[in-house]
Amino acid sequence: MSRRIYIDFLGKKNIFFAISGVLIAVSIAALIFKGLVFGIEFQGGTVMTLKTKPGVTAEQVRTALQKAGVPDARNATIQTTQDGSWLVRTAESDSQKAEEAFLKVVDELSLPKQDVTVTTIGPGWGRSVTRSALTALTISILAILLYISVRFEYKMSVTAVLALVHDALIVLGIYAVSGREVTPNTIAALLTILGYSLYDTIVVFHRIRENTRTLTKQTFTEAANDSINQVLARWVNTSLTSIIPVTALFFFGGETLKDFAFALLVGMISGAYSSVGVASNIYAIWKESEPRYQALRKKQAQKAAKKAS
Amino acid sequence: MDDKSKNVLALGIVLVLVALSWWAFWPLDKKISQGLDLRGGLSVILTAEPAPGQPLTEDMMNRAETILTERVNALGVSEASVQRSGADALLVQIPGIKDSREALKTLGSTGRLDFVDARSITATDVALEYGAVLPEGAYPESAIIVTGANVKSAGVTVDQSNRPAVSLDFDKQGADAWAKYTTANVGQAIVITLDGVVQSVATIRQPITDGKTMISGTFTAEEAKRLAAVLQAGALPVKLTPSSTQIVGPTLGQESLKQGLLAGLAGFGLVALFMLVYYRGFGLLSWFSLASYLSLLFGIIALLSRAGAYSLSLPGVAGLVLTVGLAADSSILIFERFKEEVRMGKTFRSAAKSGTRHALITSLNADLVTLVSAIAIFIFAIGPVKGFALTLALGIVCDLFVAFLFTRSAVMLLAESVVHKAPALFGVKGGQDV
Repeated sequence: MSRRIYIDFLGKKNIFFAISGVLIAVSIAALIFKGLVFGIEFQGGTVMTLKTKPGVTAEQVRTALQKAGVPDARNATIQTTQDGSWLVRTAESDSQKAEEAFLKVVDELSLPKQDVTVTTIGPGWGRSVTRSALTALTISILAILLYISVRFEYKMSVTAVLALVHDALIVLGIYAVSGREVTPNTIAALLTILGYSLYDTIVVFHRIRENTRTLTKQTFTEAANDSINQVLARWVNTSLTSIIPVTALFFFGGETLKDFAFALLVGMISGAYSSVGVASNIYAIWKESEPRYQALRKKQAQKAAKKAS
Repeated sequence: MDDKSKNVLALGIVLVLVALSWWAFWPLDKKISQGLDLRGGLSVILTAEPAPGQPLTEDMMNRAETILTERVNALGVSEASVQRSGADALLVQIPGIKDSREALKTLGSTGRLDFVDARSITATDVALEYGAVLPEGAYPESAIIVTGANVKSAGVTVDQSNRPAVSLDFDKQGADAWAKYTTANVGQAIVITLDGVVQSVATIRQPITDGKTMISGTFTAEEAKRLAAVLQAGALPVKLTPSSTQIVGPTLGQESLKQGLLAGLAGFGLVALFMLVYYRGFGLLSWFSLASYLSLLFGIIALLSRAGAYSLSLPGVAGLVLTVGLAADSSILIFERFKEEVRMGKTFRSAAKSGTRHALITSLNADLVTLVSAIAIFIFAIGPVKGFALTLALGIVCDLFVAFLFTRSAVMLLAESVVHKAPALFGVKGGQDV
C-alpha cells in the first residue's frame, strides 16, 4: 500500500467545510441579492432564432419587430449566438400573434425561412412546469432517501442528500452569479445531477460499509479514510468519464445543449467533490458520535498512549 | 456448467443481441424516428381550461384528443400525432408543416358553430361580414337555429361562382330544424359563426328540406379546408389554449442534431482514449463494452421507435451523450476492483470472480439510484425533459446488462489467460499464479 497515494481526507475536514461553507454562503447570497433569471418558459413569452445575414444589424431586427407590431419590441433582447443566429426574446405569449410577427420580420429583412425556430410559451405554462419539476425533485429525493436507507442505513442517506442539496445550491448559485437563464433544461440537468452526484457517494459509502463491518483495530474515521483512498482511482476516473462527455457537449453541442451541459458540468464537478468533501466527512463525524465508535476511539487512544510511554 | 462455459455463453448472448440490435437500428436515420425539434415542424402543447365551476373530466380530455386527431388528419399532413401530456394537456406534433398559422388556428378553435337569425344579433356596432368578431352574448340561445353538434359531415366544395365553400350535411334533428326554419323565413338573413367569428352571412332563397347546406363566403381554399376540418370533427368539450408552441425550421433542427452527434462522438472518443491510456488492455476491452452498450441502446430505441413510443429529441441526444460516461463508469468499477484484489494477493482467477461480483454490486446500487431519479423525472416532469429521462433510464438498464453479461464475463475469461501471461499490458501489479 505504501507506494500508493494516501491522503487524509477526513482529517482535513475543516478545509472541506470551509470551502463548502464559503461556496454555499456565496450561492445563497447571490440567490437572495441577485436572484435567478428565468427563461420565457417560466413567465410566458416568445423566443425566435433567426439566421443572421451579412449587412443586417440587430437594430434592424428591432425595427422590424416594431413594424410587425410586437408590443414590447423596445425591450426585446436580441443576442447573437456563436453559430451565426440571432436569439430574439419578446414578451408575446399568444402563439398566433408571435408567429405572424415572426413572418413579418422574416419578410421585412428577407431572411431565410428555413433556419428558424419560434417558441411561444403561454403565461400559465411556467406554473405547471415548475410544479411538475418540484414534484419530480421531491419524489426523487424521497425515493433516493428510501433506497439508501433500505440498502445501507439512514445516516448514509441523510448525508448523501445533504451533499446533493449542497451541489444543487452551488449550481443555482453559479446561475445567479453569472446571470445565465434558468430554463426547463436547467431543471432537468439539476434533477440528473441528483443521480450522478450520488454515483461517487455510493461508491465511497459502499467501501466504508464493507470496511467497517467488523471494526476493532481502527477508529471509524481511520477506516473510512482508508476506504476513500482505496476507491480513489475509481472516484477520480468515474468522475472524469462523466465529465468528459459533458464537456464535449458544452463545447460542440450547439446553443440548446450548451445550456444543459453547463448546469451538468458545474453539478458534476461539485458532485464529485462533495461525495468526499461533504458526504463522507459528515457521515464520519456522525458515526463517530455513536457509543460503540466512541469506545473504539477511546481504546485506540489508550493504546497509542501506552505505546508512547 | 463451469464458470468458463457460463462466461462464454454470456458473451455469446451479448454478441447475438448486439447483432440483432444492428439489424434493428441500421440505418439509423431510417429506424430511429426524430422529434420535431430535430426534423422541423410545429409542436404545440394545448392546455385544457374548463369553464369556471366545471370540473375537467377524463372523458372530456379523451374526447378532445379524438377531435384534435381528426382535425390534424383533416389538415392533410402525414405523421402528425396527438398525445396526452399530463392530466390537463395535449401535445400535438405536426412535422414539416408549411402554414403553421392555419394549423394553430385549426387546433385552437373550440369549434362551436352556430346558425343564427340575423335579426336577433344585438351587437349593432359590428358589421356583419366575414371575419367579424362578435362579443360574447351577442345573440340569445333561442336565436340559434342549428349548431355544429347537428353536423353529420362536412367537406370542401365550390359555390356557383367557383369560390371555395364548405358543404354540410345535418343529422336528422338538424335537418328538421333547418327545414322548418328555412321554410318559414325565406328572404331572411342568417349569420353563421364559429367561436364567435362570423363565417358567412347568407340569405335564405328557398326552403332547404334535405338537410344539406353550404357555407360560402370570402374565404380562401385553406380557410375552407380548416373550417371543414373543425366542423367534421365537432366542437371541443373544453377550451384548449396553446401553452407552449414551438416552430422549428427543417434545416435548423438537422443542424442541432449534427452538433449533438458531434459532441457525442467527441465525448465518446475522449472517454475511449482515456480508458485505453489508463487501463491499457482493459481499456481496449472497455471499447467493446461501450460498443455493445451503444448497440443495445440504439437497438431498443429503434424498437420503441417502431412501436411509436420513442422519438429522439434534442434533450434525448443529451441523454445519449451522458450515458456514455455512465457506461464507462461500470467498466472502471470492475477493472479497479479486479486490480485491487490481485494486489491484495489473490489469484487472478479468484480476483476476477469475486472482484467483478463486488464491483457489480456497487455498480448496481449506484446505477439504481440514478435510475430512480430518471424514472421520477419521466413520470412527473412535462415537456421535452421526458425524452431526456427516458433515454437516460434506457441507458442505465443497458449499462447494467452489458456490465453484468459482457464486461464481467470477459474479465473472468481474460484473467486466466492473457492477463495472467502479460499483467503489465493490463496495468495489473502483484498477484499470484492461477
